[in-house]
Amino acid sequence: MADAVVRHVVTFGRVLREVGLEVGPGRVADALRGLDVVDLTRQEDVYFALRQTLVARHDELDLFDRAFNAWFLRAPVVPPVRTRELPVEQQKVGESLSDASGGGEDEEMGDPLELGASGHELLRDKDFAEMTPDEYRRVRRLIAAIAGSRPLRASRRRRPDPRGDRLDMRRLIRASLRTGGDPVDRPYRVRKSVPRKLVVLCDVSGSMDAYARALVLFLHAAVGSGPGVEAFAFGTRLSRLTPELGTRDPESALEKCTEAVTDWGSGTRIGASLKEFNDLYGKRALSRGAVIVIVSDGWERQDPELVGREMARLARAAYAVVWVNPLMGNPEYQPLAGGMRAALPFIDRFLSGHNLRSLEELAAVLAGIERRHAA
Amino acid sequence: MSAFRTIDELEVALQAADYLPDRGLSTALFLSLALEKPLLLEGEAGVGKTEAAKSLAIATGSRLIRLQCYEGLDVAHAVYEWNYPRQLLHIRAAQEGTVSEDELFGPEFLIRRPLLEAIDSDEPVVLLIDEIDRADEEFEAFLLEVLSDFQITIPELGTIRARRKPAVILTSNRTRELHDALKRRALFHWIGHPSIGREIEIVKIRVPGVSERLAAEAAAFVRELRGLDLAKPPGVAETIDWTMALNALGKQEIDADVVEQTLGSVLKYREDIEAVRDETLAQLVDTARATAAR
Repeated sequence: MADAVVRHVVTFGRVLREVGLEVGPGRVADALRGLDVVDLTRQEDVYFALRQTLVARHDELDLFDRAFNAWFLRAPVVPPVRTRELPVEQQKVGESLSDASGGGEDEEMGDPLELGASGHELLRDKDFAEMTPDEYRRVRRLIAAIAGSRPLRASRRRRPDPRGDRLDMRRLIRASLRTGGDPVDRPYRVRKSVPRKLVVLCDVSGSMDAYARALVLFLHAAVGSGPGVEAFAFGTRLSRLTPELGTRDPESALEKCTEAVTDWGSGTRIGASLKEFNDLYGKRALSRGAVIVIVSDGWERQDPELVGREMARLARAAYAVVWVNPLMGNPEYQPLAGGMRAALPFIDRFLSGHNLRSLEELAAVLAGIERRHAA
Repeated sequence: MSAFRTIDELEVALQAADYLPDRGLSTALFLSLALEKPLLLEGEAGVGKTEAAKSLAIATGSRLIRLQCYEGLDVAHAVYEWNYPRQLLHIRAAQEGTVSEDELFGPEFLIRRPLLEAIDSDEPVVLLIDEIDRADEEFEAFLLEVLSDFQITIPELGTIRARRKPAVILTSNRTRELHDALKRRALFHWIGHPSIGREIEIVKIRVPGVSERLAAEAAAFVRELRGLDLAKPPGVAETIDWTMALNALGKQEIDADVVEQTLGSVLKYREDIEAVRDETLAQLVDTARATAAR
C-alpha cells in the first residue's frame, strides 16, 4: 500500500481519537488491511471499510461521519467539541467518593458510623432538605454503604454445594464408576445468585432539589456496586447518567446533568421522560427483567395520562417497579399529584427516601424484592 | 482466505441466495471473510441481522451453525456436555471393573454443542452467535477466549483446535454494551432499515408471485408506519410476512379494509395497532399508494 495512504489513515485515526473515539493501533492496522482489499476508487467502499474497522459503537457513528466528511471529503464540517470531559480526565479526578470532595474535614470527622449513637439516630430521621451542610457531610458515607444492596436473580450457572438442588452428573458418573454404576454418593450443585439489573430514573427538576444531592450519592454508590446498574436523570428531558456516575465526583456530574435536562420554568415532564426511556432503552430491552426505581415527586402538570400509559409499558417489561417519593416523608402528603395518581396502579413498592432511615428501607426492599404479577 | 476477490463478487453470490444487502453490509461481510475477523452486527429488530449470516452461509457454501444466546447460557449448552444417561447405562452393561474412566469420557459420550461443532468441523462453517447481549458477561468473557484462539479445551479429552477458522457473525440488540475486548476483536456494522427501492426488491424476491404494485404499496405503507411514533416499528421481516398474507388473500393492491384486517402481522403491540386506526389508517394507505404509484 502506498505510504501516502498509510499516513492518511494513521492521521485520521488520530483525528478520531481527538473527537473521543477509542482508536487503538490494532484498529488502525485493521483499517489498513481493510483498505488493502477494497477498491480505493469507490468512496462508499472506503467509507465502510474505515467505519467498520475503526468504529465499535452505534453512538460513535455520527462523530465518525463528521470526521470522515471533514478529513476525506474536505467538507467544511468541524468535528464538534465534546461537551463532556474526556474520559481520561475523569479518571484522574479524586480518589474515592468520600475523599473526593469532603477533603480534610472529612478525615477529622472519622467514620460517620462511629458517631455517637444518639447523634447518628437523630440524623437517621432528619429530612435531607433540613440538614445543615455539616450534617450532610456526615451522612454521605452512610448513604454509600446503604446503596450497596442489590436485588439478586438466580444465574443458570451452578457450583458444587452439598445442599444444592440439582445432581452434579459429571461427578456422579465418576463416583459411580467405582461402584459398578450405582450412584452411591450423590454430589449436588446449586445455582449461583447474581445481581439483577437495576435501573434508576431520578427526577432532578427544581421541586426535587433538596433531595437530589443525597439521591445522587445513593446512585453513585449503586453504580459502583457492580455491573448491571443503569442510572438516568430527567427533568424536561431524559439523560443517561451511568457514565458520569462512574467517575469519582458524582456531585459535579449531577450539576452538569441537571443543567442539561432541565429547562427552568417549564416544569417536569415525567410522562415524556418515561416515554423517552421506553422508546430509547426499553426497546433495547434494558428494562426487561430489571428492577426499576423511579425517584420523583410525581409532579407532572402537562399530561398525567401519558404518565399512566408509559408506566404501563415500563411495568410490563420490568421485574418490579419501585417509586421513591421524598414528599411521602410528610405525613400529610397524599399521592394526588396528577402524574403520581396515574402511576400508582403500576407501582410495586412505594417508598419515601427523604432521610437515611428511608434509604435503608429502600436498600432492604431492593435486596429482597419479589416479582409482582398484577400488571 | 475468502473465495471472493471483490465485494461485487460476494454481492452476486448473496443475491443468488435471495439476499439483497446494501453496500455497507456487503462490505462488512466481505471484510470479515478477507480479514478473518468476527463481524458484530447491530440494528433495530427485524432489519435482517440473522438473515445476513444465513445468506452468507449459503453464498459461501458453508454450514450454518447457530448459537442462540440467552440469560444464563452456560458451557453445557454452548460448547459440550457429557451424555450422562448413556455413561451410566454403559457402566451398568459392562462387567464391574472393566470400564475405565478414559473410555467413559471418550468422544462417543460427548454431546457436541454449537461452539464445539463450529471449531471441530471439517467443512467450512459460518458460526452465528445470535443476540450475544442476552448472554451474561461471564459467558462473553469465555466467548472472547474461544474467538481469540479458536480452540476449546475439554479436561478429559484435551484441546481441540479449529482446522479452519469459521466465519463468525455476532448479532446484538444492544440491551447492554458489549465488553470492549470483544468489540476490539470484531468488525462492527450497524444495519439500518433498507431504502424503499431495496425493500421492494427484497419483498419481490421473498414473496413468490407478488405483483409489482402490491410489493411497492406494502413497502411504502410499512415505511409510513416507521415514521410514526410506535412502540415497535416494523422491520423488513414484518413487511415480508405481511405481504405474504396480502398475497395469499389474492390482493393486488392495498386498501383500508384489508390493511385493518391484516395489521396484526405488521404491528405486534396492541397500543401500536390502536394508534393506527380509522382516519390515521386511511390516510397512511392513501400516502403509501401515492408513493408507490410514483
